[in-house]
Amino acid sequence: MITALKLTELSKVFPVGKRMFGPPRALVRAVQPLSLTVEEGETLGIVGESGCGKSTLARMLVGLLPPSTGTIEINGEPLDNADPALFGRKIQYVFQDPISSLNPRKTIRQIMEAPLKHLHDMPAAARADRIREIFAAVNLREEFLDRYPHEFSGGQAQRIGIARALAAEARILVLDEPVSALDVSVQAQVLNLLADLKEQFGLTYLFISHDLAVVEAVSDRVAVLYFGSVVEVGPADEVFAYPKHPYTKLLANSAPVVGRPLTAPEGRETELPDPLNPPQGCAFRARCAYASDQCGSEAPRLEKWSDGVGVACHHPIAYAF
Amino acid sequence: MKNFLMLLARNRLALGGLVVMGLVVLLALVTPLLPLADPDVTDTANRFKRPFSEGALLGTDHLGRDLLSRLLWGTRLSLAVGFAAAIIAATLGAAIGIIAGYYGGRTDNIIMRGVDMLMAFPYILLALAIVAALGPGLMNALIAVAAVNIPFFARNIRGITVGIAHKEFVDAARLSGMTDARIILTEVLPNVIPVIVIAMSTTIGWMILETAGLSFLGLGSQPPQADLGSMLGEARSALITNPHTSIVPGAMILIIVMAINLLGDGVRDALDPRLKSGALSRPMPATMVQRAGPVPTSEGDTLLALRGLKTQFHVEDRVYKAVGGVDLQVNPGECLGVIGESGSGKSVTALSIMGLVASPPGVITGGAVHYKGEDLIGAPYEKLRSLRGDRIAYIFQDPLATLHPLYTVGDQLIEAVRAHHLFDRKKARAHAIELLTSVRIPNAEQRVDSYPHEMSGGMRQRVGIAMALANDPEVIIADEPTTALDVTVQAQILSLLDDLRRERGLAIIFITHDFGVVAQLCDRVAVMYAGRIVEEGPTKTILDAPAHPYTARLMACVPELGQGRRELAAIPGLPPVVDRLPEGCAFADRCHKAGDTCRQGNIELVRHGAESLVRCVAPETPPQEAC
Amino acid sequence: MTGYILKRLVSAIPVLFGISIIVFVIMAMIPGDPATAILGSYATPDNVEKLNRDLGLDKPMVQRYFIWLGNMLQGDFGRSFSLNRAVLDEVLDRFGATLVLAGTAFVLCSLLGVAAGVVSAARQYGLADKAITFAVLLGISIPSFFLGMMMILIFAVKLRWFPVSGMWPIYGARDLSALISHLTLPALALAVVATGVIARLSRSAMLEVLRQDFIRTARAKGVHERSVVWRHALRAAMVSIIPVLGVQAGFVLSGAVYIEMVFQWPGVGRMLVDAILKRDILLVQGGVVFVAACYVMFNIAVDVAQSLLDPRIKT
Repeated sequence: MITALKLTELSKVFPVGKRMFGPPRALVRAVQPLSLTVEEGETLGIVGESGCGKSTLARMLVGLLPPSTGTIEINGEPLDNADPALFGRKIQYVFQDPISSLNPRKTIRQIMEAPLKHLHDMPAAARADRIREIFAAVNLREEFLDRYPHEFSGGQAQRIGIARALAAEARILVLDEPVSALDVSVQAQVLNLLADLKEQFGLTYLFISHDLAVVEAVSDRVAVLYFGSVVEVGPADEVFAYPKHPYTKLLANSAPVVGRPLTAPEGRETELPDPLNPPQGCAFRARCAYASDQCGSEAPRLEKWSDGVGVACHHPIAYAF
Repeated sequence: MKNFLMLLARNRLALGGLVVMGLVVLLALVTPLLPLADPDVTDTANRFKRPFSEGALLGTDHLGRDLLSRLLWGTRLSLAVGFAAAIIAATLGAAIGIIAGYYGGRTDNIIMRGVDMLMAFPYILLALAIVAALGPGLMNALIAVAAVNIPFFARNIRGITVGIAHKEFVDAARLSGMTDARIILTEVLPNVIPVIVIAMSTTIGWMILETAGLSFLGLGSQPPQADLGSMLGEARSALITNPHTSIVPGAMILIIVMAINLLGDGVRDALDPRLKSGALSRPMPATMVQRAGPVPTSEGDTLLALRGLKTQFHVEDRVYKAVGGVDLQVNPGECLGVIGESGSGKSVTALSIMGLVASPPGVITGGAVHYKGEDLIGAPYEKLRSLRGDRIAYIFQDPLATLHPLYTVGDQLIEAVRAHHLFDRKKARAHAIELLTSVRIPNAEQRVDSYPHEMSGGMRQRVGIAMALANDPEVIIADEPTTALDVTVQAQILSLLDDLRRERGLAIIFITHDFGVVAQLCDRVAVMYAGRIVEEGPTKTILDAPAHPYTARLMACVPELGQGRRELAAIPGLPPVVDRLPEGCAFADRCHKAGDTCRQGNIELVRHGAESLVRCVAPETPPQEAC
Repeated sequence: MTGYILKRLVSAIPVLFGISIIVFVIMAMIPGDPATAILGSYATPDNVEKLNRDLGLDKPMVQRYFIWLGNMLQGDFGRSFSLNRAVLDEVLDRFGATLVLAGTAFVLCSLLGVAAGVVSAARQYGLADKAITFAVLLGISIPSFFLGMMMILIFAVKLRWFPVSGMWPIYGARDLSALISHLTLPALALAVVATGVIARLSRSAMLEVLRQDFIRTARAKGVHERSVVWRHALRAAMVSIIPVLGVQAGFVLSGAVYIEMVFQWPGVGRMLVDAILKRDILLVQGGVVFVAACYVMFNIAVDVAQSLLDPRIKT
């Protein structure tokens, strides 16, 4: 196995209440120091609820945000220069909102040409050929090229977004909630297209979503994010079937499932931790049924549980096999 | 561009402004060619000649100069100065604004502090100071007026640029390897230009007024050269004896500025996409009703029954049939799910019940909504109002947008009660706290004085539910109440709704796109596609054995947790656009078993098994199986 | 609340500082030297040099700025050579008159403008809306000085309802009724433009708010339409109207310059124009700084009003 992407102690801190001079009033840790590896040809799913830091992580991976600490390595080469153009040839990004990721005042052809021109200095004739190729790969008709973004539905626009990412010829794609703006019937079209493309071009995916079922359906491995940290990572078919971290379990039990009776998985009303005033110890402990004194004093680290499974919990849930 | 000109031409006032402005500009352009008297030659013997006197069509001024000639030359000058000032201010202001807005951070901070500093002056003080420094003169007045307006443009354009610089397409351009300079020129600028044009077209008139003002004060154009402002200034001393010398240049300024303002408004309306779709129309208190054809009569004593409900959106010359004849009913204690994808008409159906569809552009064009046998469509406003929130209450999707941001949740709850009952404030407040407790909000006594922005999404939605419960309604219509929430919070809200329904015997109409939610909460479910119900029946029957191909295939598309990695089913194609619905079944184009019969006439919703209805000529399951 | 006011007052210090720098720099750009202008035909090289020394003009610019600033902080704005009077005394006298005129006009235009905007939005496309829209268009297109002149012609000369100009009668008591009769025409002429602008912005702010989701919620609760418009919508719209009122106050103050000229109102605007024409730099400098500082304070009041209205602003 070749490691396509390696993150070491990557973190992001945002200043809050900036002043013109001097230090900011407060700091928010959007992503806690976090280490992950993604193998070539793999799909790593990243799940988490709003505010868990998954989008911040994604934007750091593609160079849109400089990390506060840590390094990103692609195919063994460190990328410490926050120049998106440098990143752009190695790793690309597919946006959540397909329509707003396309400039309303440019034709699709102009949008498609940008990465070819600026990342690969391709001459005009070669560009036209390449665009034709990519459009065939994502099942879009060539006549779309001279239209403007507003003429497309969400599903079509997302295909265009994927086509643009492919044009950069990066081997790694970060997919940030690529289907959450789409209806289910269209969502499946896009997900299947992504699976085909992966096979065809030998791509590696980081698939970020809040939808557990979608992540499970498309991923090889899944990492669960809570409050900026990975709380659990493991094979997709295991993570939700046998959750080790109480938060993963809560997530899995909350997803509405046909045939399961309605019960509130959390009895009492719980409030999420305040990022400006993070709790000591484990961030989940206020919502956790297993919490002990240790959880209040010491933040658990992500530790190996079994082969390919890691969990950050002092009291992980064990299963008898 | 063509589109823009068409929109502009359709606006009659703007067209009028354009014509007048065109004439004025034309006159100004040809002034040197016209056989006019020299505007600056004095002839004191012939001073203050009245208009229409011989040799001077508009009369003469206090030095006997021909007013018509001075007026035309003055207009020429005023227009030139006004346009020049507008262009200078817009260009420099936009450049500053774009740079500040695009780069953000410290650059932005420092530039905007400077702009704030300039805007801290009442603008004329700055203009006067500049003129004082440079000395009176038309050129200096132009510089002063342009300089004073730069901060206004800069601030305006900066705001727009900040919005655009955070759009995802700018990130995408960065990932495509574009440099900042290129992004500003090719991504940001094209999106800002309409705003610059709007700002310019609405301020040119203002600039002309301003330069005229400085000239009027004697700080602009210097004698003998005249612009419209200095003509007025010179005429002021003779205002009472010879008013025509004042009225002539004053009226000209009025005509020019009014024409420019009309034109500017037209340009703004044509370029502002929000105005195109009529989105800036004020929604009326209740949806417009234009029912054609017979009104269905009430049958039985159902609590709430929709019969053949049709709601359309009339946008310009297009008609979107959002709801194309929907029948639904709920009884006390029952939860009916309405499921569909975006654009299926499920929300419009829900909002039509109490006349809450925004109109314009919404119009209810047919059918009836029977509440205990009484038709609510077309009922007088006061009747509707007395039922809204009292007998039939709503819960909406995004609790942050649906609560008033400036009132405490307590005030909003109290208002909900007092809209229907004569509670004094103290009693109403106690009731509000009680309501918050009933939706399991901890510390209700304190939370009652919170503002919506101080609460989390889940808490806000609880407030939304409490508000719906305020008057103990019989029916609650919940329009995707958990879509904006995280799954863990959604689970809490759903179980709360379920408990409330059982405790209070509420009838709930639950609009959603999520089969999992329907399965857990609803007794019966109606599936909507392209504005019509394609299938309806007990939840279990439909989820176990869907009869309509659309339902079956839609359910197959939904990934369910616990099935591991797999290929997902998809439905090819897209839902039809509701302003061009095909004949026959709207789903036919995407259906694998569609035949010729599917594309003809009207396909009825027919009984299918004991409790189900389906709108299909070839259902997936035979009727007996569905029982 | 007091904390917020204090915070805003502190944040005004750099702004006031900046204003003084801007004014000083602009005035320092004046070509030729003021001594020549002051001395006029008495300007021999010796005299000029002596006066320059007396005025401190031989010192470097930065030093001159701090001397000027220091003096101002002690209430010494210098002496006007054209009036032979302390600048501050003159400015204070004149500013009072301007405040009466501009203040009245500002109250008028705020009340009329917001009311017209709300009515116009609530009756969108109705007769009232069309009439208001047309009046507004006329109002923002007419130069206020021309309007003032026409008002004099009609209401003072032809109809003789009001005096032609001035703030007080030349003979007779200086009482409130005399002031009101002198004030009516100029205050109206001054208010017209700002009323138009405020009405327009109020209308569009109201239309914007009326399509918000929380208005639909209010209607779904069964709240009366009157209350929906005047309570729910107007309150939310005020959040965007109040800053406009702050900006318009500046425009009213600016427009006062023209109106004071037309109506011979003894205000600070007329004083400034006269001072510029006579090149009385110290008077211009002092007047501009003083009025700008007052405007900054007014805007702090606007911000405080805004924070009272909108709980989302951190106080």
